[in-house]
Amino acid sequence: MTSIGWRIVKLVAILAIVVWSVGPILIGISTSVSTQREVNAVPTRWVPEEPTLNAYHDLLGGTSSQRAGGTVTEKGTFTRSISNSAFLSVVSTAIILVVSTMAAYAFGRLRFRFGGALLAILVGTMIVPIFVVVISLFKILADHQLIDSRRGLIMVFVATLSPLATWLLYTQVREMPAEPEEAALIDGCARWQAFVRIVIPQMSSGIAAVAAIIVLSVWGEFLIPLLLTSTMNAKPVTVQITEYVGKYTTNYPILAAAGVLALIPPALLALVLNRRITGMLAGSS
Amino acid sequence: MSGTISLESVSKRFPGGVLAVDDLSLEVEPGEFLVLVGPSGCGKTTALRMVAGLEPVTSGQIRINDRVVTRLPPRHRDIAMVFQNYALYAHMPVRGNMGFGLKMAGVPKGEIRRRVDEAAAMLGLTELLDRKPRQLSGGQRQRVAMGRAIVREPSAFLMDEPLSNLDAKLRVEMRGEIIRVQRRIAAPTLYVTHDQTEAMTMGDRVAILRDGVLQQLGTPDEIYDHPVNVFVAGFIGSPSMNLITATLEGSAATFGGSRLDLPRRAGLAAYDGRQIVLGIRPEDFDTAGAGALELTTNRVESLGSELVAYLDCGQPGVEITARLERRAGVEEGRPVRLAVDLDRLYFFDPESGAAIA
Repeated sequence: MTSIGWRIVKLVAILAIVVWSVGPILIGISTSVSTQREVNAVPTRWVPEEPTLNAYHDLLGGTSSQRAGGTVTEKGTFTRSISNSAFLSVVSTAIILVVSTMAAYAFGRLRFRFGGALLAILVGTMIVPIFVVVISLFKILADHQLIDSRRGLIMVFVATLSPLATWLLYTQVREMPAEPEEAALIDGCARWQAFVRIVIPQMSSGIAAVAAIIVLSVWGEFLIPLLLTSTMNAKPVTVQITEYVGKYTTNYPILAAAGVLALIPPALLALVLNRRITGMLAGSS
Repeated sequence: MSGTISLESVSKRFPGGVLAVDDLSLEVEPGEFLVLVGPSGCGKTTALRMVAGLEPVTSGQIRINDRVVTRLPPRHRDIAMVFQNYALYAHMPVRGNMGFGLKMAGVPKGEIRRRVDEAAAMLGLTELLDRKPRQLSGGQRQRVAMGRAIVREPSAFLMDEPLSNLDAKLRVEMRGEIIRVQRRIAAPTLYVTHDQTEAMTMGDRVAILRDGVLQQLGTPDEIYDHPVNVFVAGFIGSPSMNLITATLEGSAATFGGSRLDLPRRAGLAAYDGRQIVLGIRPEDFDTAGAGALELTTNRVESLGSELVAYLDCGQPGVEITARLERRAGVEEGRPVRLAVDLDRLYFFDPESGAAIA
């Protein structure tokens, strides 16, 4: 009896979590294929009677400010913001992975002066909230003409996220047996060759996991790009979406469609990398 | 392809100040299989890692094939090493693992293939060449690790407890296999183990290390028959030698309630009236013969072919171990009279532990 009761409790808990996290997405999808009128209808219609892709059309195809009901959807701005987000995520993650993998290996394996202190400082920076440094950050970037540029944003992302990546990979290096590397050193490798040919493949599951974490963090970043961008030069989708919230009226279908489209790339990535990570964890010996 | 490995006054002090290896000198002759043995923490693995170049040398010199390698990185030492946990490259198939060293050396692909196939045939790995390490059993991984070492045709082999992760039966099998392969390759081999049975059965010569200091270097028989001190005497041989503190009175040694008339030994004269450590190997007891001891049997273990009896000699804290034939007629809790082979007694100084000539 208790086991059945327990199973019901578990089931309810799981359902609650699923509803909590999937519900808003479903509402978003439903809203995105509704018309503005249906969205405002009372009582609330959860499923539109006449589904339409107009909101997506407006968003991706561009202009029709009448149909958009006051929301400005200039041709290409949304796709540009998506491509900004993709560029920022991919390039930042690539740089962070290169830097952090090497740093993690150095901290985890090599003995060097002040190694421990350096690692402590690096990890310590994670405690400092970005708000504390945002003003000086703005000034530094402004002094170097890096405001509203993808380069500037990438620099900030690399600086703020590489400590986390380094720390995660460092713990992995510490758990990894040193013998395969040593065998490679004896088998004719210089240190860097052993790193590239033996250590990196050994770390691949951890690197994939960290890559996913970093890509998703950058993709979801809002405050930093909000403060450091002003035009479509560098504005990512998270910031662009807020443009669809009008001062007096908001076109909810367009807002929702933007949200749904912004969700697709990270969702796909999570799906693909999740499979990869579990596959590797299951296969590691 | 016959070289030598030589260590000259090699010491290792770790950053914390621990002296792991203290002034170690030994030479592995061409084609020789030399076993470095000692209890855990005695510095044997550190010594091996210094020869491999994985651990910097604090002082002294290491030569491989008459070439000084003390400061060279591992890749320039022309050695191969087999690790305790095999250290295979998990992301490569067996063929990739075995050929990796040759690939790094720039050997042409066809030649790598030929040599890997040859080594695989020698080790019975031909069927497994396309498997990944995780698909192999412990014994198979061990063979791959051996194969990876031999395809390189190095000047010297280093092995760090390669059998300790295998089960007992496989360990015995692999012992023979390693020796067979090493004889065929004929490269000098330095083999580290904590297992005295491995040392005795595999080594051409055995070096015994304790607290970083070399105790004795010799053939298994030399070490067994003439241990230089109490430590070596107790370490080599299974069950271990009985070491009993006894008092020397004239030509007799007394301990507990027993008295043994000793044969004449020049070195013993100086110990008259003093204590000595008396060493008796468990197999040097017999139910018949001269020089008898009156003992009480505490416990008997049957090994099938023979018995191991644990006996009380009347001296507190000392239990004598004896290997006896099956029909020796010892029974738990009963007194027994056992003869000792007087010519095979060992004597040690109780303070220094050194053997008395």
